[in-house]
Amino acid sequence: MTGDTAEFFNSVPARAPLLLRMPISGTLQIDLVDGHETEHWYLTFAPGRAMVSRDEQAADAILTLPTQLFREFVTGCSRPNAAVLRNDATFGGDVRLFLALRRFFPTGPGVRDPREVAREKVAARRRTASAPPDRGTGTGNHPEGQERTG
Amino acid sequence: MKSLVSILDGNTFVVSDRSGDIDPSPDFPTGFFSYDTRFLSTWQLTLDGERLHPLSVDDVQYFESRYFLVPGEPTHYLDAKVSVIRHRIIGGSFDEQVAVLNHSGEPTELTVRMEMGSDFADLFEIKNPQRKKGRTCAVVGENHLLLRYERQNFRREVNITTSEPGAIDEHGMTFQITIPPHGEWSTRLHLKTNVLGAGGRDFRDSLRMERSRSKEELERELGQWLSQAPRLGCDCEPLGSAYRRSLVDLAALRYTSITFATQLVTAGLPWFMTLFGRDSMFTCLQALPFLPQMVPPTLRTLAGIQGTRVDDFRDEEPGKILHELRYGESAGFEEQPHSPYFGSADSTPLFVILIDEYERWSGDTDLVRALEWQARAALDWIDSYGDLLGTGYIWYETRNPVNGLENQCWKDSPDAISYADGRLPDFPRATCELQGYAYDAKIRGARLARLFWNDPAYADRLEREAAELKERFNRDFWIPDGEYYAVALDADGSQVDTLSSNIGHLLWSGIVPPDRAAKVAAHLTGPRLFSGWGVRTLATDAGRYNPLGYHVGTVWPFDNSIIAWGLWRYGFRDEAGMICKAMIDAARFFNGRLPEAFAGYDRSRTTYPVQYPTACSPQAWSAGTPLLLLRVLLGLEPHGEHLIINPAVPEGMGRIEMLDIPGRWGRVDALGRSRPQREVETEP
Repeated sequence: MTGDTAEFFNSVPARAPLLLRMPISGTLQIDLVDGHETEHWYLTFAPGRAMVSRDEQAADAILTLPTQLFREFVTGCSRPNAAVLRNDATFGGDVRLFLALRRFFPTGPGVRDPREVAREKVAARRRTASAPPDRGTGTGNHPEGQERTG
Repeated sequence: MKSLVSILDGNTFVVSDRSGDIDPSPDFPTGFFSYDTRFLSTWQLTLDGERLHPLSVDDVQYFESRYFLVPGEPTHYLDAKVSVIRHRIIGGSFDEQVAVLNHSGEPTELTVRMEMGSDFADLFEIKNPQRKKGRTCAVVGENHLLLRYERQNFRREVNITTSEPGAIDEHGMTFQITIPPHGEWSTRLHLKTNVLGAGGRDFRDSLRMERSRSKEELERELGQWLSQAPRLGCDCEPLGSAYRRSLVDLAALRYTSITFATQLVTAGLPWFMTLFGRDSMFTCLQALPFLPQMVPPTLRTLAGIQGTRVDDFRDEEPGKILHELRYGESAGFEEQPHSPYFGSADSTPLFVILIDEYERWSGDTDLVRALEWQARAALDWIDSYGDLLGTGYIWYETRNPVNGLENQCWKDSPDAISYADGRLPDFPRATCELQGYAYDAKIRGARLARLFWNDPAYADRLEREAAELKERFNRDFWIPDGEYYAVALDADGSQVDTLSSNIGHLLWSGIVPPDRAAKVAAHLTGPRLFSGWGVRTLATDAGRYNPLGYHVGTVWPFDNSIIAWGLWRYGFRDEAGMICKAMIDAARFFNGRLPEAFAGYDRSRTTYPVQYPTACSPQAWSAGTPLLLLRVLLGLEPHGEHLIINPAVPEGMGRIEMLDIPGRWGRVDALGRSRPQREVETEP
């Protein structure tokens, strides 16, 4: 198990008060498969609370996936719903627990706030539109406009 | 195009020609579909190598059809010695009984062949044909043929079994039969689909979802569904048949969601047989007085899959309610963003609106409390991510340049939002009805906060914000010269000055001050927008107006039902009645089943409403339309523990009687009657 995954599980109980404010209860078993080895994790959810355990126990749902894929979930690089649809991750049992887990996965790396992007774009277009003719660069719709900051 | 026959059970459906055959069609959705995958693309019956010709087709129920066929061209018709009856039922799985009847006094030897094949196309590949990335194979068994598609871990299978022995090959089944004089031979073909998930089992088994249902179970379910709905008695026959058709179509469009194993309504056959946030919520709003049981599973599912982070490919943001959820290969491999896709700017305020409207009818406070957190997240979205430019409006602009939606309002085709001269505005855009929904969501959110969430301070804040939004909106969107609201603001905050049906939604939301409402009502019922069959999506003098344009001139029944509701809200009962009557007149031409859209030609030019060429039918929010019209005609409105009944039935419609309307009051009856026709009385 790598740092990302351990860190993720360690962070779950502290983040639960913010992320699990809806009615929910049950235990989700997560089986992380690495070659012939399988690690079992158990997350027990309740409103505002989550417990993490490695001790075998009864579960209401099981999510099975390669360790590497789970690492991609916890870093926001891959999305669990799509992974289940293409059968790279498999799931059985109470779906609400899967959807609750999903709330703990972050936005992917390098993703910008869409408001910031939209506001910069509109500002850049206004500047272009009001620029003197000799400095004007033509279309205000140039996609690179999104990259420049003011 | 050949005329097609469709039967369906939620998101499992078959589209075939009138002989019951399915010919390979890479770019049109004929075939047997389930969960966005085509499991059969070839299904052709021959007798001695000859295709068969239909004498008649009987759509017994939405899940059942019968085809009566004979060999030979009908033009060379002689008394048939042999005929064929195909009886097809769809209830999660697909069953077909093929019966061959010998009408002669001699024994007959025949070769019966069913050609079978599957391209396992994802629905999106049918919209845009492309080469499959995985492998298809066929496995021949003693009495079955298994067709399988594999791409990495993704696997879809269909297993076809026959009850009678035959010669099975990779492309179908052949039966060499001898039928005695006046005898009959038949076989039952059963198709079971597999969508493989955990442990090689079908994912629906892993989630304990119900799979196939027998004809008896389907009939019992339909009977129960119909018996729960209020009973309509009326003089206006087209209204009565539209009501019955709507109830049955909404039953047909229900499917079992993978997400919660509860029943949701798909949006429309054949392209939209899945969950859409906007469509499902509008359908729930339309159907609430009659079929309130549709609402809780819809709300719970949408809440469960609410956006949690920023994802540009899916246009997702925290708190946002989804636009479209798909289950197929293209969603799994992220070739399409529908896992789910969040590209709609209206579904989030509509979510709050539906929660409130549902509580007002049902008194189900448990659900309102259970969804508090998600409703607050939705309200937060309106002022945070929804307000892309920080100007106090909901704006939209896709961040997925490949397959994101340009227009993220209900008129989502690329040319739907234009200036009066036909130019298209820059992005982001803020369409007017989105601001109306935001206003309504805040007003309703305030009611929920005060009554159920024990947070009066939050309620005050929402009401203050709503009042500010109303003032701002009426300053920025109102076009004084034309006396209507601009369809949108462009990225510079300037008005997109077209006259459109969107202004009708503003009445429904209540964002229009009373002194402007009459102007809006006059536009909606005036000649530029009103065709005689309904309100057009775009005014006839707009640069892009086209009576056959999907969102730029056609009449949408769903749109008209919301407009009628808006007119009712402001007391324009005659105008609302005029729209209701036009819609019901139109429904008569579609056997009670209003399509997604029909052409915007003036009623005086066409004696019947011309169907839009590729309209989906049945379509959930078109099926919901007659229900909402009935609410408007009878003036039904919950008030505390009571139901207000204040009918205004247009002339000529006679009596409308609705018995056993369910709600927090138990069940009540409503009766309305046209006013007497005074003109007739004063005639000499």
